[in-house]
Amino acid sequence: MLAPKPMSRVLIVASRDQAEPIIGELYREHLFHIEDYVDQGREGYEGFKIGTPLTGATEASQELVKVRAIENVFSVRGEDIDAKQKLSAPEIQKKIESDLPGIEKEVEDLAGARSKLDTKVKEYEQKIAELVPFKDVPVDLALLRGYAHFSVLAGYVPKEVTLSVPHEIETIKGKERLFVLVVVAAKDRAQAERELQEAQFQSIAVPEENGTATVRTAYYTEQIASLKKEIGEINAKLAAIKESHVDLLVTCEEAFRARIEQTEAPLRFATTAKVFVAEGWVPAERIAELSAALDKVTGGKVFVSEQPVDTAHDNVPVEYNNPDFAKPSQLLMDVYSRPTYTEVDPTLVLAIMFPIFFGVIVGDVGYGLLMLALCAGLWKFMKGDEARQFLKVLRNSSIMTIIFGVLFSEFLGFELPWAPLIYSRHLNIGVTEASGHGAAIAELLIVSVWVGILYVTLGRVLGMVNHARQDHGDHRVKAVLANLGWIMVMWGILFGIWSMFPIPLMPNMTAMPIVAAGLSVGIVLAIVCIVLGVIFIARDAVLEVIEIPTIISHVLSYTRLTAVGLSSVAIAMVINYMSIGMFINPGLKDLSIAGIVMIIVGVLIFLVGHVFNLALGMLDGGLHSIRLHYVEFFTKFYKGGGRKYNPFGMKRKFTED
Amino acid sequence: MADAVMTMEMIQASQVGMKAIGAGLAVGLTGVGTGVAEMGIGAAAVGAIAENKDFFGLGLLFTVIPETIVIFGLVIALLLLF
Repeated sequence: MLAPKPMSRVLIVASRDQAEPIIGELYREHLFHIEDYVDQGREGYEGFKIGTPLTGATEASQELVKVRAIENVFSVRGEDIDAKQKLSAPEIQKKIESDLPGIEKEVEDLAGARSKLDTKVKEYEQKIAELVPFKDVPVDLALLRGYAHFSVLAGYVPKEVTLSVPHEIETIKGKERLFVLVVVAAKDRAQAERELQEAQFQSIAVPEENGTATVRTAYYTEQIASLKKEIGEINAKLAAIKESHVDLLVTCEEAFRARIEQTEAPLRFATTAKVFVAEGWVPAERIAELSAALDKVTGGKVFVSEQPVDTAHDNVPVEYNNPDFAKPSQLLMDVYSRPTYTEVDPTLVLAIMFPIFFGVIVGDVGYGLLMLALCAGLWKFMKGDEARQFLKVLRNSSIMTIIFGVLFSEFLGFELPWAPLIYSRHLNIGVTEASGHGAAIAELLIVSVWVGILYVTLGRVLGMVNHARQDHGDHRVKAVLANLGWIMVMWGILFGIWSMFPIPLMPNMTAMPIVAAGLSVGIVLAIVCIVLGVIFIARDAVLEVIEIPTIISHVLSYTRLTAVGLSSVAIAMVINYMSIGMFINPGLKDLSIAGIVMIIVGVLIFLVGHVFNLALGMLDGGLHSIRLHYVEFFTKFYKGGGRKYNPFGMKRKFTED
Repeated sequence: MADAVMTMEMIQASQVGMKAIGAGLAVGLTGVGTGVAEMGIGAAAVGAIAENKDFFGLGLLFTVIPETIVIFGLVIALLLLF
C-alpha cells in the first residue's frame, strides 16, 4: 500500500539446449519482466551476443499475418469476443492444420471477388457522373464524335455566347449556368475555342458511349444494382463464415502470437556459443515459485540467482500493489503517469477520494441511479481491461453520488421526503417566498476549504516522505525542510486569518491574549510560521518563493467542490421549474389542445434538460475531481514516470498450455 | 417613468437586480477569461496528444489549470446571490 510491489532483479543462466523449455515456462508463469540485452558492438568484443530466434518463428509470423488479414475482413478483434471454451495446444494444432487453410482460402477468394466488384461499381458510378451534363441532350452520343470535318465542343458557360465563325449551337438551361453543345468546322476550331474561352467556357469531354445519355445512365444504374446484389451475396457468405469460425480465428491468432513471442524471446537474451543469460525483474515474493518451476522443467539444469537492486540507478519496473477495491483507480494514475519505484504511490488516496469528490459534486440520487444504469448498460459493450476499469471507477462514483444524494436529500433537483442530513444545497429557485431553509452556502464553502487545507498538507507531508526516500546528503535535508516550510507558510496564513476574523466552522483565535506591541499570540504564531517557512523554502530554491500565492489559490480551488455542485443543482432546479412550473402545471389546469401541447413541451424540456445536466454533471464531476488530485495534490509530491512492469507472457483468453 | 418617487420596495428590487447583474458578470467575465486562457493551452495540448498519446493526462492537466478562474467567479456569484 502506498508503495509499488517490491521487485527483485533475477538472472537466469542455462545452456542453449534448455532455452526452449525455459522460455515456455517463463511464458506460462507470466512473471518475468525481461530486460533486453543490448549489444554494445564494441570492436574486438568477443563476449555475449544477441541470441537467435528458435525454429518456427518465420512460419508462425506468416500464419499470424494471414489470420489477422482475415480478422480485418471480418473486422473482429480478440478483445471484443468472449471466450466460449479454452482449447489446449494439441487441439489448436489439429484445427490449425485441418480447418484454417480452407477458411483462409475461402475468405481470401471472397474478399478478392468483393474488391473487384467494388472497383467496378466505382467505375460505373464515375461513368454516370460523366453522363450527367448530357442528360438533356436528346441525340445518340455516338453522333457527337468521330467527324473528319467538324469539331464538337461541349461545356458550361455562365451566359449565352455568340461566335463569329459559322456554327451550330444547342443551349440547355441549368440552374446557375448554361450547358452548350457547339458544332463548328474543323478549321474554325481554334478560333471558336478562343472566343469560348473569353466567355469563361468550361470544357467537358464527350463520353465514349453509344446511345443517349438517359439510356446509358439507366443501363449503368441497372448494372450497379446487380453488382451490389452480388456484393450482398458475398457479404452474406462472409458473414456466415464469420459466424461459424470467428472463435477459431481469434484462438489461432492468440496461439500464433504466443508462439511468435516465445520463439523470438532469445533476441532479448545475451548468448554465447553454448550458454544464454536472461536478465529481468520478478516480484520479490514470487521468486521462489519461479525458480522451482524452472528447476522442474529443466531437471535442475538452470541457474537462477537474485541480484542486488540499486534503486537509485536501476530503472525498476513498477507494478501497483493495491487492495482490490483500489485497482480500477490505477487507470487514473496511468493517465497521469505511473509512479516510480521509490515514490509514494497515491493510488489509494485517489481510489477513496475520487468517488467521494464526484459524489459531493453531483450528489443526487436520481443522477446516481441513472449513471449506475448507464454503467450496467455499457458493461456489455466495453470489454477491454481499461474500459472495464473505467466503468468500475464510474460505478464507484455513482454509488457515492447516490449516498451523497441521500445526505443532501436530492432527487433530480427535487427534495426527498426528509430534510438534508448534512448542509442543504436546495436553492430557492422557482419559489416566490423563501421557504424555510435555503442553501447553506457559506458552510459548504468553508467545509470545502477545509478539504483543501487537509489535502495540501497531506500532499506536502507525502512530499517530505518522497524527498527523504529519494534524495541524499545535504539536498535531502533541504528538500524535506522546504516541504515543511510550505506547510508552515500555509498554516501561518491560516493562523493570521483566524486571529483577525472569526469564521464559522473554523477555530476562533481573535480572543487570544495579547503578548507584545498589540499583537496577539495567534498573530505572533502566524508571523513565526510564515517567516520560518519562507526561509526553509528559499534555502532549497529561492525562486520558489514567488510561488507562495499558489498556496491560497490551491486551497481556494477546492471550493469548486461546492461551486460546481451548486451549479449542477441550480440547473436541475431551473429545469424542473421551467418544465413543471411554467408548462405542465398551467397545462394541467386547462386541458384544452393548447394545454396538452404545453404539457408535451414541458415533458420534453424535463427529459432533454436532465439528460443534458446528467452529461454535464458527469463531465464536471469527473474532470474537477481528477483535476483536484492532479493539479492541487500531485504537484506537491508526485513526479511519476515509472516504467510499467510488463512480464513476459500473456493473459490467455482462448488457449491453454 | 410615470412616477419619479421610488418606494422602498422598488429600491429593494433594484438592489436584487444589481446583485444578479453582478453575479452574472462574475461568472460571465471569468468564463471568458478561462476560455481565452484555455484556447491556447488546449490547442497545443491536442497537438501534443496527436504526436504522443501518453501526453493525454498531462495535457488535460495543463488545459484545466485556468478553470480555477471561472470557479472563483462562480464562488463569488454564489456568495452574492445567496
